[in-house]
Amino acid sequence: MRKYAHAFVVGLQSNLVYRWNFGVRSIFWFFHLLVVYLLWGAAYQGNPAIGGYSFEQTLTYFVAIFVLQFFVGAFNEDYLIGEDIRNGLINQFLLKPINYFAYRISVFGAARVVSGVFGLLSLAVAIPLIRSHLEVPHDAWRVAVVVPALALTAVIQFSIAYCFGMLAFWFLEIQGFVLLSMAVEMLLGGQIVPLDLLPAGAFTAARFLPFFYQAYFPAAVLTGRIGLPLALQGLAIQAFWALALVGLAHLAWVRGLRRHTAAGG
Amino acid sequence: MDSVARHLRVWLASARYSLVRATMFRGDLFVWAVVELLWITVNVVMILVIYSHTPTVAGWTEYQMLLLVGTSLLIQRILMGLFWSGIFEMGRNIRTGLFDFFLAQPGDPLFMASTRKLELDGLLNGFVAVGLIIYSAMKLGIHPGAADIVIYACMILCGVVIHYSALVMAMSLAFWITSSTGVEGSYFTLMEFSRLPREAFKGLVAFIFVWILPVVAVSNAPARTILRGFEPGWALGLCAATAAWLALAVIVFRAGLRRYTSASS
Repeated sequence: MRKYAHAFVVGLQSNLVYRWNFGVRSIFWFFHLLVVYLLWGAAYQGNPAIGGYSFEQTLTYFVAIFVLQFFVGAFNEDYLIGEDIRNGLINQFLLKPINYFAYRISVFGAARVVSGVFGLLSLAVAIPLIRSHLEVPHDAWRVAVVVPALALTAVIQFSIAYCFGMLAFWFLEIQGFVLLSMAVEMLLGGQIVPLDLLPAGAFTAARFLPFFYQAYFPAAVLTGRIGLPLALQGLAIQAFWALALVGLAHLAWVRGLRRHTAAGG
Repeated sequence: MDSVARHLRVWLASARYSLVRATMFRGDLFVWAVVELLWITVNVVMILVIYSHTPTVAGWTEYQMLLLVGTSLLIQRILMGLFWSGIFEMGRNIRTGLFDFFLAQPGDPLFMASTRKLELDGLLNGFVAVGLIIYSAMKLGIHPGAADIVIYACMILCGVVIHYSALVMAMSLAFWITSSTGVEGSYFTLMEFSRLPREAFKGLVAFIFVWILPVVAVSNAPARTILRGFEPGWALGLCAATAAWLALAVIVFRAGLRRYTSASS
């Protein structure tokens, strides 16, 4: 474990080097929030509720989605893993007693700690401006469900990014696949519209996909869009997907290594 | 005049090379075309979901909004097709020192760096955006005259120049903050405003995003030309904004270039 703790610390240091990038991203978080505020504010004009939710509840949902992404979102892990493979940097891991998945998830954890701090800072700045528009439920069980849900969300996000990074074993250029998955993840993950606003059939189908648990699920539990029975059921499905995706990531690594050629001397 | 002709010849040579390259990697072209199409779909789905719960947003009906979104997407697809790859790589090249390559070329460094690659997939999906615009106009029963279409095309061109300028400024940050990873997201965030109707902006927000940053005018001005006919105020404002933003982008890029220390030994 100590070697992964070291990887985590090194990850913290290297991410702090790029603190300005996180800073810039945090600033533009406000713009993103403003777009949501304007669009949904205009949609709610003359409508006291959309899909059974008030404007305050919908805005709270998007704020939760944005802030949670700072803590659990896999922003560019797929690209970094793909570059490691493409440039032959994984060769060093093959010669050492280091599990590449564990190493990468340690670095991912470190990056999320740094970006999470920026997320909290952004929220602290935004709260005085938007407090009157926020409506957070106070049920204690929601916090109890959200904590493991967030951990599983991080595993799902990272594992999907890891699997897409593994594509570099088979393809020279993976950025297209990465952006393809990003579009699907954003839509089916509830980052574009709350998934409960989709037609009932589409929402039910989405519940059985891993994307549902990438962003929508923890945000919906936290902001009162999901009740206790659905939350517990969701947690079980989320745990299944987390395990399945970690398994898939391992499989991709094993199969990918068979195709890998370590060149150079 | 000689300089313009020389740069045009260089651009034509780059375009020819990019087209040949795209036809060599047809699988890659297909993936990227699907990526672009999927992002267009994400935007359209968002509009459809919102309008399934409300008849108007800021006084705009569903098809008016789709025409606005189509216009915004068309501008962005043209930018993606003509300049995205070059400008996106510029950020990374500045960090790695590969930007030296462009400084050594016989032409303006910004022109050389931003026009090096032409992406066929972006341009192909421009036709999808045009299809969305035509479909929306037909649904609205609008039949614009030839003059309106010419003015619309000129405004789209102005929009492309403004988008180009915004992206150049965003990526030029790499001269100051070393790594531009994630900074391109700031451009996309800013351009989200261009998919909102002018009427959704009020007070200080309207002053900033309609009059200071032309992100709203970029799409609203051409869309209004189709929907409501030629409005001189919007056209003049857009022309002035185009000139100002291009000048600002060149100034920022050159200021950054003075900080560039290269990576050669």
